[in-house]
Amino acid sequence: MEPQLDYRVEVTDKDGRVIAREEGPSRSYVRQWNELFHVQAAQIYLGGGGTVKDTSGSTCADARISTVTFKSNAGIGETNYGLRVGKGSTPVSINDYAIGNPIAEGTGIDQLEHQLTYFTGPSVVGSTLSFTMQRSMVNHSGATISGIQEIGNYMMFSCGMYTRFALGFRDVLASSFSIPDGGAITVTYTLKVTA
Amino acid sequence: MRNRAGLWYSVTIRDRHGKVISRERRKSRSMLGNWYRILYGMMITGCTSMVHTSGNSWGTCYLQDNWDFRGDADMDYKSIVIGTGTTAVSIDDYKLATQIMQGTGSGQMRHLASTPGWPSIVGPNCSFLTSRTFLNNSGGSITVRESGIYCRCKGPTYYGYACIVRDVFGTPQAIPDGGSITIDYTLGITA
Repeated sequence: MEPQLDYRVEVTDKDGRVIAREEGPSRSYVRQWNELFHVQAAQIYLGGGGTVKDTSGSTCADARISTVTFKSNAGIGETNYGLRVGKGSTPVSINDYAIGNPIAEGTGIDQLEHQLTYFTGPSVVGSTLSFTMQRSMVNHSGATISGIQEIGNYMMFSCGMYTRFALGFRDVLASSFSIPDGGAITVTYTLKVTA
Repeated sequence: MRNRAGLWYSVTIRDRHGKVISRERRKSRSMLGNWYRILYGMMITGCTSMVHTSGNSWGTCYLQDNWDFRGDADMDYKSIVIGTGTTAVSIDDYKLATQIMQGTGSGQMRHLASTPGWPSIVGPNCSFLTSRTFLNNSGGSITVRESGIYCRCKGPTYYGYACIVRDVFGTPQAIPDGGSITIDYTLGITA
């Protein structure tokens, strides 16, 4: 069986009531996911020529093995890595390197307060092993934020002596979501594999 | 439409003259739970439980060596490995059922070096290939029925190796004396 990636998006109002929901199979890991696997599997060292484009669009030509490759457990307010949402609707391409139109951290217009990206541990049910990652983003901007249509995950990696961030997977949602003031959007990805 | 991500493998058998005598190519059934346990540890920069190929429950933590499946010549504890077992694949497999060890004795094969190739992009696909060849200089025929990948990993205390892929062949492959078997694994994603 192939590995699977599924997503679920829920929007809640200021009272915590679910007002919109979407779930389905993820369309897309993107190339950085495999390129970072390769860096680890082939043990590409400093100066080894590993090439990975970061979320700014800059190509790192010295991606290397690291303890932080794939790190995604972002803290509160951290938007360099962890789950993100955006307003872009461009179809996913293998060459995507960032969320098309990401929502920034904050309480200003069209900004969201990013909570932790946290994980549930791996569990086996029958012949499937899975774990989940989840993040809520709260709207304290004073107005509805509309047009949320894309989700994805940014991951840390090491480029030479520096820390960089790369897009691992991205999905364009079937529906456009609006988050009322005081409400929140919660994104959950389930990573699983079945033998 | 669901994305495509996963492993594909091919098996090529050659006789002592290098002539291809058998070939099997199919989607790998089994990226194992251990692959995702290591991934989980890396994504959270933490640790989780995992059984190593030694059978010890040493766990896995974030470590720069994780997923290293390069193989030196004669190395039978890391990289692509082969065996004679036919036990059905299980998500919690932690080693091959019956591994063929390095050597030229009865039932043994010589393990050649292996390193993953660089990723390539073709259309909406990104993939990289890892290949390894095993030579039969045992003096008799050897039938190979399973293959897999062992990688480097480390738990909170001990370094070790994890079985992250295991496949049982659709057709058992007999390797004549002087012949070889080449296993290709391709890790691919399609957007």
